[in-house]
Amino acid sequence: MMKQIIDKWGKSIGIYLFLMVLFPFVMPDEYYRSVGIIIGLQAIVTIGLCLVMGLAGQISLGQAAFWGIGAYTSAVLTTKYGLPPFIGLIAAAIVPGLFAFILGRAIAGLQGYYLAMATLAFGYIVQIGITEWEPVTGGANGMISIPQMTFFGGSELSMYFLIWGVVTCVLLFSLNLLNSRVGRAFRAIHKSEIAATSMGIDVRKFKLNAFVVSGMFAGISGGLYAHYMGILDPQPFGLHESIKFLTMVVIGGMTSIWGALVGTILIGFISEGLVLLSEVVPGLQGDVDTIVFGAILVLFIMFMPEGLVPRIRTAFEKGQAKKAKGMAEEAQRKQQVERKAAT
Amino acid sequence: MTELLQYVANGLVSGGIYAIVAVGFITIYSVSKVINLAQGEFLMLGGMVTVALIGMNLPYGLAALLAILLVTLIGVLMQKYVIAYVKKANPISLIILTIGISTLIRGIASFIWGKDAFALEPITSNEPISLGGVMIAQQSIWILAAVLIILLLLWYLMDKTILGKKINACSVNPMAARLMGISPTKMSMLAFAISGATGAIAGIVIAPLSVTSYDIGVLLGIKGFSAAILGGLGNPLGAAVAAFLLGIVESLGAGYISSGMKDAIAFLVLIGMLLIKPSGIFGERSVGKGGL
Repeated sequence: MMKQIIDKWGKSIGIYLFLMVLFPFVMPDEYYRSVGIIIGLQAIVTIGLCLVMGLAGQISLGQAAFWGIGAYTSAVLTTKYGLPPFIGLIAAAIVPGLFAFILGRAIAGLQGYYLAMATLAFGYIVQIGITEWEPVTGGANGMISIPQMTFFGGSELSMYFLIWGVVTCVLLFSLNLLNSRVGRAFRAIHKSEIAATSMGIDVRKFKLNAFVVSGMFAGISGGLYAHYMGILDPQPFGLHESIKFLTMVVIGGMTSIWGALVGTILIGFISEGLVLLSEVVPGLQGDVDTIVFGAILVLFIMFMPEGLVPRIRTAFEKGQAKKAKGMAEEAQRKQQVERKAAT
Repeated sequence: MTELLQYVANGLVSGGIYAIVAVGFITIYSVSKVINLAQGEFLMLGGMVTVALIGMNLPYGLAALLAILLVTLIGVLMQKYVIAYVKKANPISLIILTIGISTLIRGIASFIWGKDAFALEPITSNEPISLGGVMIAQQSIWILAAVLIILLLLWYLMDKTILGKKINACSVNPMAARLMGISPTKMSMLAFAISGATGAIAGIVIAPLSVTSYDIGVLLGIKGFSAAILGGLGNPLGAAVAAFLLGIVESLGAGYISSGMKDAIAFLVLIGMLLIKPSGIFGERSVGKGGL
């Protein structure tokens, strides 16, 4: 299995590992390391969302809700019941997975708009639920002093490698899934559900699995987020964040796992840039990033619906084909010249 | 008893607003098979633009009229330059597109007006009227009147006029409609104009009762969609009835259970409905077809 992936994506994985390890040393500033950590946490979520959107051809507008459920699960277990963060993280994967399973089972027959609205509504219910369940979640005031993770001393650098280690696992798992029989089934579903069904693929089951896996990824990321931040409130787990995740997947390319990663990194830096910009330009209050995300979504769907990574890959492959063709013609010409010289 | 009636009265008023949103969804959906997730933003813009224009010392009526025209124009432009451009897109892309537009509008609104909430002066006095112990704000009567007039006009337009027949023809079979000399693109543009105008009117009449701010559109949009699903996505009358029911259920829930859970109730109703009968209480002809 691993060999197949390395055969297929070896170069991309190499570049990814190189840049990932290099980043914190090129940017020794703690601030940029924390940006890298946040981007890593988001990448875990978006890779999961990409499985749902790109492979199963479904849409989820409630991904931030799974993220929130994961965060609060781990936070509550470790803060109120004194469990170690490691156990909290396992629960942070299982509980959102269960939620995704129940919700997914319920709405597995739904498509398109219905699923979009159902997940949107689910996102709202979760955010309202977190806010209203004050005895456990601390309500709108949130939770404080959530135990930090002590991973190799718990410095910013070790946190960075812990989180990007998880990103790498999630990435390899997803690439493997994409490359397997399951991945082919997913692509068949994406192309035509009816054709896939007639080939004996249990479409409902596959969609449900994708949904549950994406919920679990989001939950793990949420748990890590809770322990990294040390404080939580319901605010980041709403529609705004769900749309941000959506933008990340769309910009990189819905059908590509690498696209989700590239999109997350791009949007992550754009968001950081906007924060810095709003500190310099006084008029830029309000939600500038909302405008940017909205515009990106509209422009990409209009002009580049396949997203950046597939677009670049096609251009690259075309270039390679052209080069190969040129070389072949050159060889042919040489041969002809030689033949002429011989006669 | 009075308490119960009071909750029902409140529910009727908010249900009326959901009815307008729901009918807006259905108008666009029936012609172009697009669910316009920016529907709620039309309401927000209606209210906010009116407030802004009154702030520029324009008279109330003129400000409201200009706001309605502006939102109608936005609806038309949205159809002409964005939706029509990606006509052949798959449903996922269309969803992302309208989500993108709604996010964009919301972002621009927060950029222009900030995150504060604004209130509009009521059309008539602030003094509530007492009907057998049930207190009703005068503005609520305006809201209900506006809702009923809009619903009646739409019904008349769709059922009694040639234009309505053209719209219906496009919703039944766009190809056949085109062969008969009807332009589905124009009808789709008209549908966006109608939903823009009705949305703006709804946004203006609710602004005095519940304050308006850049982000009210999301909630109103989902609730309107819930009502549209409850009633059956192809059935405007059913959607209107469902919207009033939803408003009443929500108001009773807020009164007897918890006001914080008010919004969650509508969403639970939506998810529950999707589970039990996605075609809606009153049935729907085309669930799963077209853009879905």
